[in-house]
Amino acid sequence: MINTNLWIGIFCGGLALLVFFVTRDLSRLGGIYVNFVLAAMGILSLIMMVRGLLKPEMIRIFSSSEERNNVTIGVVILIIYLILLPIIGFLPSSYLFYFCFNLYLADNRFTFSNIGRSILLSLIVVTLFYFVFHHFLEVPLPESMWAE
Amino acid sequence: MLLDAALHGLLEVIIPANLLFLFIGVFMGIVFGALPGLTATMGLALLVPFTFTMSASSGLIMLAGIYVGAMYGDAIPAILINTPGTPAAIATTFDGFPLTQKGMAQHALVAAAAASAFGSVIANLVLAFAAPPLAKASLAFGPPEYFWLGVFGLTIISSLSADSMIKGFLAGTVGLLLSAVGMAPIGGDVRLTFGYPQLQAGIALIVALIGFFCLPEILISIIGKRRAAYTETPVKPKLNVIIQVIKELFRRPGLVFRSGIIGTVVGFAPGAGGNIASMVSYNEAMRWDKHPEEYGKGTIKGVAASEAANSAMAPGSLIPLLTLGIPGSPPAAVILGALMLHGMRPGADLFSVHAHVTFAFIMGLMVAAFMVTVIGSFGSFFFSRIINIPARYLAPAIIFMTILGSYAIRNNVLDIWIMFIFGIVGYVSTKLKFHPAPIVLGLILGPFIEEGLVQSILAGKAAGGVLTYMTLRPISLVLIGLCLMSALWPFYAKWRAKKRKKGE
Repeated sequence: MINTNLWIGIFCGGLALLVFFVTRDLSRLGGIYVNFVLAAMGILSLIMMVRGLLKPEMIRIFSSSEERNNVTIGVVILIIYLILLPIIGFLPSSYLFYFCFNLYLADNRFTFSNIGRSILLSLIVVTLFYFVFHHFLEVPLPESMWAE
Repeated sequence: MLLDAALHGLLEVIIPANLLFLFIGVFMGIVFGALPGLTATMGLALLVPFTFTMSASSGLIMLAGIYVGAMYGDAIPAILINTPGTPAAIATTFDGFPLTQKGMAQHALVAAAAASAFGSVIANLVLAFAAPPLAKASLAFGPPEYFWLGVFGLTIISSLSADSMIKGFLAGTVGLLLSAVGMAPIGGDVRLTFGYPQLQAGIALIVALIGFFCLPEILISIIGKRRAAYTETPVKPKLNVIIQVIKELFRRPGLVFRSGIIGTVVGFAPGAGGNIASMVSYNEAMRWDKHPEEYGKGTIKGVAASEAANSAMAPGSLIPLLTLGIPGSPPAAVILGALMLHGMRPGADLFSVHAHVTFAFIMGLMVAAFMVTVIGSFGSFFFSRIINIPARYLAPAIIFMTILGSYAIRNNVLDIWIMFIFGIVGYVSTKLKFHPAPIVLGLILGPFIEEGLVQSILAGKAAGGVLTYMTLRPISLVLIGLCLMSALWPFYAKWRAKKRKKGE
């Protein structure tokens, strides 16, 4: 359980402070807007912190350990995909991601039918989008770092 | 004279070949609008070369179809998966997605299609018959007016964050700060890029929208709670839903008319665009409604308000384009290019020498609006069923599309990472009841507010007083009044409800 108002106040206040220090070298014209926003953000963050201390609102981010694990694994799969994308290229990393994610969301993961269905779906969906974006719309999709 | 030209334009549109081009345009527009990462501007730019070989009227009719189709298409993912196809559909998610969660996706889709058509027709009538005088009025929009228009858009936060206004406005400031990333519009300073040159162009809106709206929903419902489908109540499309929703909208002419006018007015202010139009319209719809508490929980009134304004913005943005050569929106700029390619220069000539082509284009916009209603209403049988697909098949496809969409907007892998980070921030902030909608609102309105503010300060100093320059111009005064009214309305509504309760 965390005190939501207090933590939001601290996070936004911290962000305002960080931005304040990294924007001190801006020219007058470039800094006017940033300074106005930082002033508003600082004041509102302080109000949030005071509110958090006076009237704490306690909230749990994950309702169960199962939910926490599910989200963590999902996020990890996504991170691995994003890391692999510029390394092995769009097509192989996308086939892999789509297959893994599909399998991960299935109830009985490692049955022949589920694995087969996931392979088939990943092949169809990824290839279809590859053709639309790469060949029709001519979007230069990420290539493997070893590609010429 | 005008009626004659309009009639000739209509006759040009209903030639079978032109009707086919219009249909293809509308269909392509819907696809471009519906896919996050693809925009109306992109669709128009991609298809302009195809119109070279056509006659000027056929080419422009097809472009009219794309523009109008895209204005509706962006509502489809906004309603079904909480991801606006373009930033202009952000307000459509506020009620569209809750309707989907109630199993009423078809209601929302039909409302979006019908309201889009109503809004578009209103704006087209204004474009056809009152363009020249309105174009002059659009020139009265200076930096202070843009600043106050941006602030007016921000006041919607007070309505969106009824549970905690301070949280809402704090989230809004986070969005305003995010909008400062990149090169300053005036001054040219490179701000908050942390050494990434790709960030000099700022944060792409569509990347933020996908991150803050789409990914958290998947993380919360599909991955976290392991829900088997996007919606707990499966959608069962029915023919009478179309009639019921259209009847419901006809019963509220004020809502659609007001939204259409808002969209047209915001459209003809160069640069403002559908984002502001739909948000201002949504806010006004909520403010004028007898039951504002229904908004945000899933009402077709919210969807209609947003979509009517968003679609009215398109013809509205063509008013300064056709009369003065000033494009009111990025797609209008592409249409300007197409006009020039066909040897037509904006200005008086368009309404005299080239009147037959100009009115064929305007009538094309009008007929496209009706096509959108038909395609959208009957397409709702197909579109709404998408949401019934089991989550294990739909979620990976959506994530994959969001990644591709984030990448395709600038062909930049960093944008995917930004989308992912915003997705995680959106997930945590939603759980902490720090809703990301005001963050996105700040991000959208930030550039208007900054440009308006800095230019006003510079011009105001030259004019002898910043404050008087910013506040004492007639349109500014009206906008300031609207800002105050909009910001204070929730307090008044609360007080009125309390008083009514006491009376009972």
